[in-house]
Amino acid sequence: MQIKILDSWLREYLKTEATHSDIARVLSLTSVSVEKLQGVGDDFLYDIEITTNRVDLMSVIGLAREAQATLSESGFKAELRKPSFVQIKKGNNFPIEIKNDPELVNRVCAVVLEVNVKETPKEIAQRLEASGVRPLNNLIDVTNYVMRETGHPAHVFDFDLLNTDKLLIRKSRKGEKIVTLDNKEYSLLGEDIVMEDGSGRIVDLLGIMGLSNSVVSDRTKKILFFIDNNEPKHIRNTSMSLGIRTEAAILNEKGVDPENALNAMYRGIELYKEIADGKTVSDVLDIYQSRYPPNKIEISFEKIRKVIGEDIPPEKAERILRKLGFDVRVDKDKLYVSVPSLRRNDVSTEEDLIEEIARVFGYQNLKSILPPVNQNRKFVKYEDEFYWEGYVKTSMKYYGFTEVYTYSLVPEDLYEGPVENALSLKNPLSSDMKYLRGSLTPSLLSVLDENKKKSEFKIFEISNIYKKRKADLPNENLAFSALVKKSNAFFEVKGVIEAIFEDLGIFSINFKKRSEGAGGAEIFVKSQKVGYIELLSDDVCDFEINFNLVKKLATRKKTYTPITKFPELIEDLAVVLTSNISTIDVLNEIKNVDPLVKDVSLLDRFEDTRTFHIIYQSINRNLTKEDVAQLRERIKKTLQEKFSAQFK
Amino acid sequence: MEEELLSIKNNAVSLILDASDLETLEDIKLQFLGKSGKLTLAIKEIAKLPQERRPSVGILANEVKSTIEEAIENQESNLKTQASKRIREKIDVTNPGIRPPLGHLHLVTQAIEEITEIFKSIGFERKRYPEVEWDWYAFEALNFPPNHPARDDWETFFIDSEPHKKFGPMLLTPHTSSGQIREMERNKPPIKMLNIAKCYRRQSDVSHTPMFHQFEGLVVDRGISIAHLKGVLDFFVKSYFGDKRESRIRPYHFEFTEPSFEVDVTCGVCLGKGCRLCKEGWLELGGAGMVHPNVFKNVGIDHGEFTGFAFGWGVERVLMMKEGIEIDDIRLLYSNKLEFLEQF
Repeated sequence: MQIKILDSWLREYLKTEATHSDIARVLSLTSVSVEKLQGVGDDFLYDIEITTNRVDLMSVIGLAREAQATLSESGFKAELRKPSFVQIKKGNNFPIEIKNDPELVNRVCAVVLEVNVKETPKEIAQRLEASGVRPLNNLIDVTNYVMRETGHPAHVFDFDLLNTDKLLIRKSRKGEKIVTLDNKEYSLLGEDIVMEDGSGRIVDLLGIMGLSNSVVSDRTKKILFFIDNNEPKHIRNTSMSLGIRTEAAILNEKGVDPENALNAMYRGIELYKEIADGKTVSDVLDIYQSRYPPNKIEISFEKIRKVIGEDIPPEKAERILRKLGFDVRVDKDKLYVSVPSLRRNDVSTEEDLIEEIARVFGYQNLKSILPPVNQNRKFVKYEDEFYWEGYVKTSMKYYGFTEVYTYSLVPEDLYEGPVENALSLKNPLSSDMKYLRGSLTPSLLSVLDENKKKSEFKIFEISNIYKKRKADLPNENLAFSALVKKSNAFFEVKGVIEAIFEDLGIFSINFKKRSEGAGGAEIFVKSQKVGYIELLSDDVCDFEINFNLVKKLATRKKTYTPITKFPELIEDLAVVLTSNISTIDVLNEIKNVDPLVKDVSLLDRFEDTRTFHIIYQSINRNLTKEDVAQLRERIKKTLQEKFSAQFK
Repeated sequence: MEEELLSIKNNAVSLILDASDLETLEDIKLQFLGKSGKLTLAIKEIAKLPQERRPSVGILANEVKSTIEEAIENQESNLKTQASKRIREKIDVTNPGIRPPLGHLHLVTQAIEEITEIFKSIGFERKRYPEVEWDWYAFEALNFPPNHPARDDWETFFIDSEPHKKFGPMLLTPHTSSGQIREMERNKPPIKMLNIAKCYRRQSDVSHTPMFHQFEGLVVDRGISIAHLKGVLDFFVKSYFGDKRESRIRPYHFEFTEPSFEVDVTCGVCLGKGCRLCKEGWLELGGAGMVHPNVFKNVGIDHGEFTGFAFGWGVERVLMMKEGIEIDDIRLLYSNKLEFLEQF
């Protein structure tokens, strides 16, 4: 929440020698953040962010109280000028019978006044304007001024337009229609707090906004000045559902102090007398069924020291709490504290009190020490959950790939497979982000669309994909996916995968032709499927790999093979094979002929002839030409038998 | 004999001077000075001469040998000089180099790596927890009241599924703090964990993306105080932002910490003097606080015995706050335009 107030207004309740910049600095460090301080004529405007727990500071008086406490503990003389509003007789002499529902409204204060509509005095108008409230007429301006100054929202009805002797506070019924004072029509949801006149005519949307049927105007002669303290939960629901975010709603949904309601009423009456020739023609009605008992907390000085990290003198702790409005009793090594009503939602535990003491003492005055390192914990680099992820990302960078981060939430057309299998959001921001993805590649394809102008590029991502489970959280699995835009990129992509796996110490990788879907290959480690390569078109190739599996298989384990001193013999063998035969099968067959075949690779492929590059080597003797000739014949024989191969 | 030696010398010197490369020169050397080189053989003949002639011929032979050796050495050095000159003249060193491929890591990855290293160096261990969570972990156990705005449909993404009997609705975790509950349910103190993960909130504008990253620290042990939180914070700010930047904590409010703090770092542009980019010289880094007793209660840790602190800050936010990187619309980070990604 934000509040803007003029320095001169604050000083009506705060007597201090501190300058405006002292006040801004001390409040920021010990209480609430003054985000901007600017000059306005010969005055200054504080723009303050108030945290949601401190709705009591959404007011001039609240801030004056807080400033008094924090300034005086920071070396400045400061005193609170306590408000003393003229009190009007409380009683039952009231022209309207008001029936409250204490489940919905904690307290109602009301009074009837005869008034004259006039221009609002300049000083009041300027204060409101600086606060970001547009002055309208003196009758409405009083309600806004009261809200800013005391922190309690207030409302004013045209008494004659109400034209009733009965008002009934109740929950709305679904579908009931209202027209707010800015002439917008709304259909109610059924949980809203409304007030009707007994005949079904709704005259107020409580805590949020007044209605056009009872709004004051230039012709108003008599008013019902009305202060309602509401149940926050209902206010939040109504305000968010209908999209009416008035300041009253924002305060009421946080829970304002009911003890403050009567003060706000007295201050309002004072102002109506001052600027609208107001004359009370009723008693002040005060319906307040259930007062909250104050929170009582006890806390030891030992506990305070433990959390803060150093000793704070007991008398200082006591003084700080008193200045903030708490009742305090000190007994030996403990503080017995009673929490004022205005802090009842915010302070209920020992830790809450420690915060009050520590912040006013000044966080900048506390020590700064690094905590001790955990003991008895080992550190194994390769067992680190995140090690391989970083390792592969870096590898990909040096293979020329650029990393992307795409959204985990995707539209229907980027979800692979039927969306019934997807985890979907109940409340998506838009249909573009409705499903949790089950695959990364569609997202990478959308990056392709975003970079149409680029003729060639390589991208990758390592992120979670999500798989729905019955009555449980989904499986979250790291997927590793990449996309290359370049013509005939299949073997480049395959080569990257081979290089990555080799570097991770995984050697038993193999590829099988895909039997359905887009052209490409399934990737296996031994017989376990770990991913796929897809050749989507002549110039787009992608892959996706289950990175959790890869992480499990990756190893830094090294093996040493003695370096043989006997030379290699190398020859190239041209083999004629039909096109349905996979090169990998031929390579495996050649390799399996004899352990003396140290390595074999495909050198070249032209029409139906494939040329294999074969390396022969023995670890314990020199191979002769005769040895090689024998091996060659055995290879030929095997290939003839298995693949009906021919030789040129 | 003398004549033969002189003729060898002349022959050798003229061949040496004609040699146009080092290989030829090496051949000439072998031809004359090698095991069966002409001079070597001639010198062997000296032994057959009569005793009285041997000294003078011997002296001559030595002279011839050193003359040839010298000539070879000179020519070798000439040829080397010439070769260097040729290479020097042939190469245009201003032509572009042949580069190995070089891609780019995303800014978020780079930030995560740096953050992880900083915290690792003071004993934090990075952990991983679910992104899709139950309400219990994201809110309830973190002491959020039932009607807290973060728990309604306007701020948090909910999954369209049956709520869990014990743990409530399924949702996308809006903060890394859910990891606190996971960690403390699984492990007993001492705890010193770092959680860097994707989070999701229902908002999208120049400073918010529906998906973003946070890093969360949690330290729980006997005797952990606000002073320790300040220590870790100062260490991070100096390490990540540099020595010129200062930090401070000031009061704030979160449901799952008490006391709660907002952490500020001096603005990288004005270094704390105040400018149009910051709030009176300071930029908000994020939230922190002492673990709330109700949170300890919810995970079964005795809050009389243990205390702890936690912080959770935006990765994208610290990235933007680092000097020199000013991105006016944070959504650019996830737009994946290569012109953008290739800058980093």
